[in-house]
Amino acid sequence: MAKSAGPGGEDGLNAAQTADDVVVLEKIEKSFRVGESWVSVLKGIDLAIARGEFVALMGPSGSGKSTLMNIVGCLDKPTSGRYLLLGRDVSSLSEDELARVRRKELGFIFQTFNLIGRVSVLKNVEMPMVLCEMPKDQRRARALELLENVGLAHRVDYSPINLSGGERQRVAIARALANDPDIIIADEPTGNLDLKSSDEVMRIMNHLNQEGRTIIMVTHNPEITEHCSRVIRLRDGKIVEDAP
Amino acid sequence: MKLSDTLEYITVSFTADRFKTFMSSLGIIIGVLSIVVMLSMGEGLYSGVFGEFQGMNLDVINVVPGTWSQDENGPPNFRSTEEPAKLSDKDVDALKGVAGVKSAAPRTSAQVVISSRGRNASATVNGISPEEELELKGKVEEGRFLTDSDYRAVVIGKGVAEDLFRMKVSPGNKLRLYYDDRSMDFKVVGVQGDEAEISIARYDPNMEIYVTHDAMKDLLGRESYNYQQIEVTVDDPTQAETVAARIREALKRYHKDEAFSAVTSRSMLQSLESILAMIKYVLGGIAAVSLVVGGIGISNVMMLTVKERIKEIGVMKAIGATRRDIQRQYLLEAAMLGMTSSLIGIALGAGISVVIGKLAGLPSLVTWQSVAVGLLFGTLATTIAGVYPASRAAKLDPIEALRAE
Repeated sequence: MAKSAGPGGEDGLNAAQTADDVVVLEKIEKSFRVGESWVSVLKGIDLAIARGEFVALMGPSGSGKSTLMNIVGCLDKPTSGRYLLLGRDVSSLSEDELARVRRKELGFIFQTFNLIGRVSVLKNVEMPMVLCEMPKDQRRARALELLENVGLAHRVDYSPINLSGGERQRVAIARALANDPDIIIADEPTGNLDLKSSDEVMRIMNHLNQEGRTIIMVTHNPEITEHCSRVIRLRDGKIVEDAP
Repeated sequence: MKLSDTLEYITVSFTADRFKTFMSSLGIIIGVLSIVVMLSMGEGLYSGVFGEFQGMNLDVINVVPGTWSQDENGPPNFRSTEEPAKLSDKDVDALKGVAGVKSAAPRTSAQVVISSRGRNASATVNGISPEEELELKGKVEEGRFLTDSDYRAVVIGKGVAEDLFRMKVSPGNKLRLYYDDRSMDFKVVGVQGDEAEISIARYDPNMEIYVTHDAMKDLLGRESYNYQQIEVTVDDPTQAETVAARIREALKRYHKDEAFSAVTSRSMLQSLESILAMIKYVLGGIAAVSLVVGGIGISNVMMLTVKERIKEIGVMKAIGATRRDIQRQYLLEAAMLGMTSSLIGIALGAGISVVIGKLAGLPSLVTWQSVAVGLLFGTLATTIAGVYPASRAAKLDPIEALRAE
């Protein structure tokens, strides 16, 4: 557990944590109310992820890995504990402040792609930049460049509905990179893809990692963890294994 | 998110599902359409009525029994707590003595049956003082006007002369007038020239006939013969209200406990104006109800839209859209829907108003006010209708929304 944060440390950095850690979780707990009772999903997660790591998060369903990803992805807030994202405590930010963090610092890739079918591929990729109010010609140029990088320059005016799964996921990757985030959050990015597309997507992810981006990926597939620098296994709301 | 980008995004969703957009706008289109039609009809009625009073001398003062009163902005009313005054020659003489009065013409009228060459018809007969009727005097077309000494002589309107009987009635012909069980024979001495009809008051001056008060008194057979009205003309029309005030003062002493009024035609017209304005706004109000219904329709469609796009809203939130971004998007979507529908509604409403005006012969007038009211209320109604769906969308939990199918 070399990278996970140790106990203690009132403020700032603690012993096991280095200045280059982009994600630091301290005693993160999360419980949900189910009817009359509370169900604890995360039971004290301590975790530090350094810049440039390619982390696979594994675990059976119900182990809390989705909840953990939601917290790391700033979509959800922990019930208790502290979360430092790029050195900033985000555990107590408001919903809109979290939205601003997501659009600037994080890129999301989903299993079901989650593109907006009503607008073109280009507009999908532009969307995070639109939210950041980037000038029109600038964001268009960047979107075109990103699409070219994922080999979809010929599909810019298509509706995502008319693309194959692999193509859709590549659009989603281009979108995730729109605001040049340091961290990519990927939730089973190859879960809905055939083997060939899956390889293509993992090749791109690898490339992104080599560029220096930190990738945190949930996966069920042990085969694709070979790309990863670190595999973290969750069971019953706790980290049970954390190995390179 | 910039406003221009939000608008662009909304335009995409409109064009993507044109049929749904059209169906949801239909309610507002109809609402705005009816507002424009109702207001146009109201406005047409209003200006049509006042058009008929154009060219009429509005600075005539009518002295009548009873109380004619009007509150600041309210409708006119007659109060009958006091005995109505009995107007007589004493009043006429008093009126002539009031400074600024040019003439005072007493009148009494009644519905009578009129018979010519064995055929009967009905008409309004007016007892008048010929020398005081300056205006009528000038309008004789054939023969002569009455004089104060006439008794069995009658002057008839052009309509009575030409339209009432199969054969034209000319000066020199005999007419018999029946009132209750009495009848009197008259000789036609003159026919009046054509005069414009006041259609909304159902008053056609061409169907009137005139006799002297002496004859009228005998025709009616009443013991006490009173004037129903004294029409006063003034030297200086701009001073009509002042003269009316002097008249009230002057007649008071003859009618201690009796009610009488001296009102200018202009002020009576103003009362009519307030009634017509009320009608106009009532019509507009009825149309507003249909707009509310249209607004509810928009609200429903927006709720459905939000539900339909729940996943998309989740995605937008995940990639960094704030509550405000989402709220503004859906509110603006509703507002734009409203504005577009309102413009369509205005165009259709204006067209329909013109067609109704032409076909049904009803007055209608599309004014910029009715267009502005239509646009304002149409847009307002949809924007209000969009508030709830938009805030529902903004409050969605991104995790829940992403999970939706």
